Amino acid sequence: MSETNRRKFLAVAGAGAAAGVVGISASPAFAGTGASKLAAKETVVAYVEDHHGSVVTLLVGEREIVVDDRDLVARILNAAGGE
Amino acid sequence: MSSHREAPEIAKDPVADGTDTYAFVSPDKPDTVTLIANFIPLQQPDGGPNFYEFGDDVAYDIKISNSGTGGADIVYRFQFTTKIRNSKTFLYNTGPINNISDETWNRPQYYSVSRTEAGRTKLLAHGLPCPPVNVGKRSTPNYARLAAQAVHSIGNRSVFAGQRADAFHVDLGSIFDLGALRPFNEAHLIKMPEMNGVNSVQSYNVHTIAMQVPITDLSLKGDRPKDPGKASAVIGVWATASRRASRIYDKRKGRYVSHGPWEQVSRLGMPLFNEVLVPMAEKDKWNRLEPKDDRAFAKYVNKPELQGLLPALYPGVFPKLAAYKKSRADLNAILLTGIPSGVVPGFQNYTGSVESDMLRLNLAIPPAKEPNDGGLVAGDAAGFPNGRRIADDVVTIELRAIAGATIPLVDPSYTPDAAAGAITDGTTNTNAPLLRSFPYLGLPGGGYQTVPGTTKAS
Repeated sequence: MSETNRRKFLAVAGAGAAAGVVGISASPAFAGTGASKLAAKETVVAYVEDHHGSVVTLLVGEREIVVDDRDLVARILNAAGGE
Repeated sequence: MSSHREAPEIAKDPVADGTDTYAFVSPDKPDTVTLIANFIPLQQPDGGPNFYEFGDDVAYDIKISNSGTGGADIVYRFQFTTKIRNSKTFLYNTGPINNISDETWNRPQYYSVSRTEAGRTKLLAHGLPCPPVNVGKRSTPNYARLAAQAVHSIGNRSVFAGQRADAFHVDLGSIFDLGALRPFNEAHLIKMPEMNGVNSVQSYNVHTIAMQVPITDLSLKGDRPKDPGKASAVIGVWATASRRASRIYDKRKGRYVSHGPWEQVSRLGMPLFNEVLVPMAEKDKWNRLEPKDDRAFAKYVNKPELQGLLPALYPGVFPKLAAYKKSRADLNAILLTGIPSGVVPGFQNYTGSVESDMLRLNLAIPPAKEPNDGGLVAGDAAGFPNGRRIADDVVTIELRAIAGATIPLVDPSYTPDAAAGAITDGTTNTNAPLLRSFPYLGLPGGGYQTVPGTTKAS
């Protein structure tokens, strides 16, 4: 899945079911591109309950998007660790 | 009680803490049902300068199940917005508040009401003003006027949201002191002189959400049921409060900010269910579930802990109850399924086999001309556990039921202990006088007028 498509997939899936798990296949880390048209335009809270796992829960507006993406979790954990 | 601070988590979140739910066919408008949900327990009337108010970050719901599923078929949602008129003062009010629109009220609160059915949500009204709290003689000199101004009509519905006097009466101080009932102190394991009960919630206020809606707004078929024997005549009612999934303290804004979906943190149908029947370790879980999930808690109804405690705490007083080993089918019916036809002549409020904690109201039963606060077991089919009226003495009714008084309804071979029909916490309704019309609950005590009680350490 290309980076652009991956971002769209995340955004569209988030706009649908409130708490469905969005599965993402392994892919390169984000390349620092700008936000897509469907990107959230408000505050987002990311919640990684299990640092050994691959799931990050995103809270935005009145929605909850559960993303299954070890790469994304790793980036968040790295950022939380100061990297 | 009936659900004031009943679970560990919600006890730390009083703004979202539901205390009592009521549902009854309106005595003065019998083609309507009055639904009342109280929140924010045990308010001292003089609790300023930041007086009690609804949470802008809480969704308050009154829910109706009319299809026997134990799930919500209709949801009325109330959401609040609070403003500060004068940012330069610390005062709640800068002069007497004579009308709810007065600029002297510095912290007015407004709300919206929506109705959701079959997945469709309709905004019924928004920007409806609440009344201020009852500050005192100088600040809110004619509180009855303010309260009346806060009763709003939305078509053929009436709504009110604001402070009222708590109408519940119970002796918390005694009951939670090792299950003591003051009138029976000498029979308790730890004996003390007998005395009258003490109404612990007397003089405290709550925040009330009340609706008076046509029966046709609630019934399964959208009609006004006439036959009490029909399943479609019965609805289930409960109230909930929800918070967003995430709550973060934003130090830049100096307040909490919330994100994510609404998550239920408080629930209340039948009085005392979570309080007295559900073990402490499961109370928080119970609060987040829907009634349709209550099968998991049926074991605490079928064999209540309190049933075992009564014979232990009052030695020799409940020998028949102590010997009764069968599952409590009477309590299961009263609390979880409704009472089926054939148990109480001419009455039923059965909602089917789904075990679910709800107030069950038979819409076809008219209001009693002479209400008996003993409700159904006292021969008044318009009273608890057929819904719940404000004056119904639910503590006594439920104490006696757990003590075995209602077992013969389903097990005629059982003769209750004599004490089962006499047990009481000894309180009477010493709260503020009720009103004869919507929203019925008494006016809240004023901060200036109300005198604190006494304190004794020993």
